[in-house]
Amino acid sequence: MAPIIELRNVTKYFGSGRDQVTAVDSISLDIEPGEIVCLVGESGCGKSTTGRMVVGLLPPSEGQILYQGQDISAMDKADYQQYRRAVQIIHQDPYASLNPTQTVRQMIAAPLLRHQAQRSSGSANGSGRRERRRDVERRAAELLEIVDLTPVAEFLDKYPHQLSGGQRQRVSVARALTVEPKFIVADEAVSMVDVSIRVSLLNMLSRLKDEFDVTFLFITHDLALAKYFAWEGRITVMYLGRIVEEGPTPRLITDSRHPYTQALLGAVPEADPELAKKKVHLELRSAEIPSLLNLPTGCTFHPRCPYIVEGECDTAVPLLEHISDGGSVACPVRKSEPSLIV
Amino acid sequence: MSQATDLSWHQNIDENGSQPPLSLQDVHVSYRTRKGSVQAVRGVTLDLKAGESLALIGESGSGKTTLGLGIVRLLVETAEVSPGKIIYRRDGRELDVLSLADGPLREFRWRDCAMVFQSALNAFNPVLKVWDQVWDTAKAHRWNNREEVRERFLDLLRFVQLDPARVIDSYAHELSGGMRQRTLIAISLLLDPQILILDEPTTALDILTQRTIIDLLRRLKEDLHFTMLFISHDLAIAAELADRVATMYAGQVVELGPVEDIFYRPRHPYSLGLIRAVPTVTGGFEELSSIPGSPPDLINLPAGCKFHPRCPYASERCSNEEPQLERVGDNHFAACWHTDAVEEDIERNGLRVRRST
Repeated sequence: MAPIIELRNVTKYFGSGRDQVTAVDSISLDIEPGEIVCLVGESGCGKSTTGRMVVGLLPPSEGQILYQGQDISAMDKADYQQYRRAVQIIHQDPYASLNPTQTVRQMIAAPLLRHQAQRSSGSANGSGRRERRRDVERRAAELLEIVDLTPVAEFLDKYPHQLSGGQRQRVSVARALTVEPKFIVADEAVSMVDVSIRVSLLNMLSRLKDEFDVTFLFITHDLALAKYFAWEGRITVMYLGRIVEEGPTPRLITDSRHPYTQALLGAVPEADPELAKKKVHLELRSAEIPSLLNLPTGCTFHPRCPYIVEGECDTAVPLLEHISDGGSVACPVRKSEPSLIV
Repeated sequence: MSQATDLSWHQNIDENGSQPPLSLQDVHVSYRTRKGSVQAVRGVTLDLKAGESLALIGESGSGKTTLGLGIVRLLVETAEVSPGKIIYRRDGRELDVLSLADGPLREFRWRDCAMVFQSALNAFNPVLKVWDQVWDTAKAHRWNNREEVRERFLDLLRFVQLDPARVIDSYAHELSGGMRQRTLIAISLLLDPQILILDEPTTALDILTQRTIIDLLRRLKEDLHFTMLFISHDLAIAAELADRVATMYAGQVVELGPVEDIFYRPRHPYSLGLIRAVPTVTGGFEELSSIPGSPPDLINLPAGCKFHPRCPYASERCSNEEPQLERVGDNHFAACWHTDAVEEDIERNGLRVRRST
């Protein structure tokens, strides 16, 4: 099957001259329809920038982003509009992403009306207006049911401040669904939600994948969440703008190869005292993340990496190479060594 | 990585037989709002033992941060602590924290009980260099020997594994998040407090930075035997660092016990619910489940057990009578009418349900 989203050597610079930073450095990624891909990494690794480029909120500085095989920068207006509808984003902060002066009904109805108007433009006439309103109302109720905001009547007239964080995030999802997207970028979509509610949000998102064939790019800093959400999918690990390792989730979690992935997996605190005690931590040579303004040469992880090979790691940028156990690793030194973590 | 640092000035505390340095007795905190009184903390009774680390865990609105701020009396003016008593003990003297006048209160904070806040950036004065802030703090506590203060602070910076020369003359914004958090911990230790309260000490930090802070806090606990109170929504912090755990819900401690009991033999449905909602990284592939519903409205609390609208074991009794903490094991207490049902559930279904991989 052809990928629904394809990134080809995508690079994003911010600023210019001496202040120029490379937020994303020549990454390539294929996402097949129905797949779940998790993008994980720490702040500043470029994962959110990547997500924003995928939905068309930021243009890449170099490289191409393809939607269903078509370069989005070369699309005509109609195709571009269709792509922008088909690819939606759910932001991290449901307190900031919803308009505080609108009720849930207004927030959901507006894109529905607009969407409907676009689809039936030309055939619209006065007599159908009431009917259209009714359709929109019915669809809004359906969408709230899909995201488990029930009984629907209780939520339609609420303002965001009357909702909890989890409920707001459900409204964000319902709003994204108004345009029947095929691809959703979920950028830290459950990070601000209380733990007891997180799982039901994740399960709701998984259901969308199964019932509505939505493909997900799930962006998170939380490896445990990535493992849970993308167990049947893939995890891609980014560090300072580059992909350092990717692969099927079970392999990446239990047999990671890149020292950075291993450092992350070892460092994650575990919600289990025995696991916390048993866990092996990879000792890094430095705790500080290099500045994006002044990136190390060669492998950008080399100043922190305990496995550094002088004269190799600090000179040549390692390429992502396939490994036989699934996925690929950008570390010629460790790519064939079994993980000591986990 | 660890450097030999002289922290001999820290008084090791006799852990046996001494009275707990901090006792909370039936502490209530409410906030006045236009809509009514928000009952943020409702009757918390808790001893913090010498040398132990106790984790208060719970979600937003559970009252954990309010309780922490209440102990050092940093609550906003609309908050009222009543009824309740907070007793602090050191070297045989006993302080009634809630009735301290301004002067003694300032002494109590920082010298006896220091708090490290969640947002490390906001805790710094943005226009002062780190050293100026430290010197101000020392002077405010009548420690006027500049050389001595500087010497101590340099030691502390080394203890938290920072390069003293790099940090001491920096502004807060010049430091990374992890460095700020370490600096803050170093400052909190300046006056050798007996108790450290840490509110979400690792939240909002990146994973690798989080690990270095956890390791640092573990050294404070294991090497220097600080008495610590952790406040966190993150179960992992409790699992990594706590000796005892108190689960809070709707302003009350609903379960209290040694860390192994809370994580492996929880008896309150809310504790069990939290454990089943949180994935691990190295624990195989677990089936997770969330707790239905959302936390209660603190102005208009449900009758009976505050958790009953979300509880899978709730019965008639739960909606009428509020359970109190009762002993369910050695040093293990839970406030639930159906601790037996929780135990059975775990026996039947396991603590976490593993999915076959």
